[in-house]
Amino acid sequence: MALPNQETVNYPSFKLVIVGDGGTGKTTFVKRHLTGEFEKKYEPTIGVEVHPLDFFTNCGKIRFYCWDTAGQEKFGGLRDGYYIHGQCAIIMFDVTARLTYKNVPTWHRDLCRVCENIPIVLCGNKVDVKNRQVKAKQVTFHRKKNLQYYEISAKSNYNFEKPFLYLARKLAGDPNLHFVESPALAPPEVHIDIAEQQKNEAQLIEAMAQPLPDDDDEAFE
Amino acid sequence: MATKEPEHEHRDEEEAGTNEDEDTGAQVAPIVRLEEVAVTTGEEDEDAVLDLKSKLYRFDKDASQWKERGAGTVKLLKHKTSGKIRLVMRQSKTLKICANHFVKPGMTVQEHVGNEKSCVWNASDYADGELKDELFCIRFATIENCKIFMEKFNEAGESVKEKEESKKASETAGLLEKLSVEETKTEEKPVEKVKTEVEAEEKKKSEAEKVDEEKKTEETGSST
Repeated sequence: MALPNQETVNYPSFKLVIVGDGGTGKTTFVKRHLTGEFEKKYEPTIGVEVHPLDFFTNCGKIRFYCWDTAGQEKFGGLRDGYYIHGQCAIIMFDVTARLTYKNVPTWHRDLCRVCENIPIVLCGNKVDVKNRQVKAKQVTFHRKKNLQYYEISAKSNYNFEKPFLYLARKLAGDPNLHFVESPALAPPEVHIDIAEQQKNEAQLIEAMAQPLPDDDDEAFE
Repeated sequence: MATKEPEHEHRDEEEAGTNEDEDTGAQVAPIVRLEEVAVTTGEEDEDAVLDLKSKLYRFDKDASQWKERGAGTVKLLKHKTSGKIRLVMRQSKTLKICANHFVKPGMTVQEHVGNEKSCVWNASDYADGELKDELFCIRFATIENCKIFMEKFNEAGESVKEKEESKKASETAGLLEKLSVEETKTEEKPVEKVKTEVEAEEKKKSEAEKVDEEKKTEETGSST
């Protein structure tokens, strides 16, 4: 469900509502999928931010309009209004902060009051952190309420595609749906502008001296 | 759905086999019906001359810092007929494109200061379907892989350059023939012709060197 000022697309799109306590990593998770970056700095979301997120599947391209909502009460804004016409949802908590798991039932109740019978994924984020407060075994809410559960890490990308894959399969009723390589079209030929090239070279020299954001992190695929 | 290709079926089986996720979710009615479509990677007419696991970063010029772009597989793809080489990188799991650009003549990668596992370059990138000038940094799991990447990338930039130069040279040669038949205004041209011959000679030499280098790369590649 697109916003009135948002472009509509000629392939299937779904409104995805993302809720959970402030600081659990909802915005970081969405950003990770949008640009690849991992934002460490915490800036609370105010109200809601809607981001279109495309995936390529064996059944064609699909789009989730991700309604990334404010977790903090004081920045909550419309709340129920954001949930209207939600077609699927993610409830996020932080496995390193017990209270965020305790609040999951409240988020679930609020969501279900507006959105009935939609596929919901519960995500325990930050599983890369050594000192977890909520162990995998202690997570039981999804069994009581029939939700899907994934342990994820927006930092390490562990299971980061699973929530979207699960929701896509449910929305399409196809358990074999999977992500495929998006077509890498041949880039158009560019005329290299000498002045532009020199500017780029100068910028590159500046960039060369800057360290990478995650130099210490050796574990990547 | 009955028109599945065998290859897809195989992939489905594999996925199901490794899929240990228990579905605890409620039964919900699907809201769309999707048909299987033919999948194209866009890489069908190319051969991979390099294929390595890596992590890619782009330089945020406003914030003056590197930001992650994706982690997955970087490839150098050579077109089967045109011989053009491009770099394509895909995010693992989602298989989305994080970089897609031609390796243009004279383009080179350079070492990243203080990090032997990474290197930097600039390119006009088409990953998002529009051309953007980007500064990229790529990091590998090992110093060896970084070296292999730098060699292959710089080689690619060289080979494309040579190809374009030899094309220019043959064009010049053709022009010269025409000129000598007409026997007009040939005073300056002989100099250029000599230069063209020298270039052709150099090209031969550098190609021979390249073969040696390739052998070396293969040796280092297999020893890791």
